[in-house]
Amino acid sequence: MKFRIVIIIAIFGILAGCAPKESDIIRLPVGFIPNVQFAPLYVAIEKGFYEDEGLLVEMDYNMETDSVALVGAGELQFAVVSGEQVLLGRAQGLPVVYVMAWYQQFPVGVASLADQNITTPQDLRGKRVGIPGLYGASYIGFKALLNAGGLEEKDLTLDSIGFTQTEALADGLEDAAVVYISNEPNKLRAEGFDVNVIAVSDYLSLVANGLITSEEMIAKRPETVRAMVRATLKGIQYAAQHPDEAFAISEKYVENLANLSDEDKDVQRQVLADSIQLWQAELDGLSDPAAWENMQELLLQMELLTEPLDLTAAFTNGFLPE
Amino acid sequence: MRSKQKRKYFSILIALLAFLLVWAGLVRLLELPAFILPSPLQVGGRFIRALADGTLARHTAATLLEVISGLASGVLFATFLGYLLSKSALLENVLQPFLVASQAIPTVAIAPLMVIWFGPGIFSKVLICAMIVFFPVLVNTVVGLRAVPDHLRDLICSLRASRWQTLKLLEFPAALPVLLGGLRIGATLSVIGAVVGELVGADRGLGFLINVGRGQYDTALVFVGVFTLVILALLLYSAVILLEKRLLRWQTD
Repeated sequence: MKFRIVIIIAIFGILAGCAPKESDIIRLPVGFIPNVQFAPLYVAIEKGFYEDEGLLVEMDYNMETDSVALVGAGELQFAVVSGEQVLLGRAQGLPVVYVMAWYQQFPVGVASLADQNITTPQDLRGKRVGIPGLYGASYIGFKALLNAGGLEEKDLTLDSIGFTQTEALADGLEDAAVVYISNEPNKLRAEGFDVNVIAVSDYLSLVANGLITSEEMIAKRPETVRAMVRATLKGIQYAAQHPDEAFAISEKYVENLANLSDEDKDVQRQVLADSIQLWQAELDGLSDPAAWENMQELLLQMELLTEPLDLTAAFTNGFLPE
Repeated sequence: MRSKQKRKYFSILIALLAFLLVWAGLVRLLELPAFILPSPLQVGGRFIRALADGTLARHTAATLLEVISGLASGVLFATFLGYLLSKSALLENVLQPFLVASQAIPTVAIAPLMVIWFGPGIFSKVLICAMIVFFPVLVNTVVGLRAVPDHLRDLICSLRASRWQTLKLLEFPAALPVLLGGLRIGATLSVIGAVVGELVGADRGLGFLINVGRGQYDTALVFVGVFTLVILALLLYSAVILLEKRLLRWQTD
């Protein structure tokens, strides 16, 4: 009998020791591993922009945290997600609202080595195209490009290759690949390849990554939302204006960044420079209603949405600084 | 005896060298860039750098903590439940389908859910780890306890041993070889469990380090993480073998 009790106590002891702590820190999920593209957040933390607003922000790097669900359920206050997630979440009854556009340009595109001569969506006909998977922002962006080229999926070969686009293109396994335009092309160029990129944003304006919160936060703590938006925007603008300093700050926050070889570090610098282009920081986080319309139309066409939503409830520009 | 031992170590060394040579040869021959397949030298250099700046130690410690907690809680729970199952046919009949079904669930598929339900901290990783360890240990416990010879049971019964005495003096020692066999499997599996959790979402650990290396095209770092995991699993496995040798000395003598 004593033996059993000892076991039970041991199990509970181990489990209790590992249980997560609750606190009033704002955990901000960004849906990716630490990366230099989050420089504005590191800047806002490091330079005290959040602190000045009375906010204590901590990065959350869960690849799979269902940020929209957790924010909608009130488990988290804010998250950084792509625009389509907001609409898909709202269609499931999750009361999330997009309060600040961070990336003004949809960061997805199709990259290919220059000798493939793929410069317009039409050129993809008959090609072998690699894509991380048939979900998420990359799939939605790719669909938008197919539409622009008047193509359908059956007009080309689509391979789900995970996040191995750079390797697949360098090895010639794929003719083209759906990429984050600020990321993979830079690595390929650094390896000496000539790369063509077709950016989704050149063909269609779509809602990209931005800050979301819940309807409840907006109703009950509008000042916190306003403060969060203000401080984050300040971080974006500062990082865009001072890329070198932003990179140096990122070295403190992004594991391994400071230890990279010079060549790899230059790639990451270029990733930051290209990201800054996508942010268009001068637009101050403004959401473009047309981009929301485009996104909804695309999702309806892909049958990811079954009926149109009230888009005016999905986003607001009301928390942006005057 | 000693020369035999020497020859064994020598052949292991030769195999290792051959492996490194083939690897280096492949990189040279195929002219692969470092971000696709780094050479052994590059990986070795990266290993030393990661060791020198403390990165490797920090992430290894995080993973080790998850592995040990997961292994310990998984083994404890599995042994406990295994004991109950071996005693009660009813309980076994009721739980069996659930236990088998739980094994059909791919951990990779539910690991993201674990992270959502139990947070991004260490708890979700320990839980995933414990789940992976659980089943082999459970099965071995039941098999081990069931395999206790009947004539010994009769003997200890005739001596009016209590339940606790039966467990301590007969069942546990008799089942120990099988139990330790389960632990051996569990030890290597536990490393996988912890890393699956870290790959899904974490801010430390070797799985996280591998993800970071991938994201920054630092493929040498990915290899450093993978090799460290292999070493970790080998060490755990050897620890169980040592434990076996010690606990089962009566058997081999």
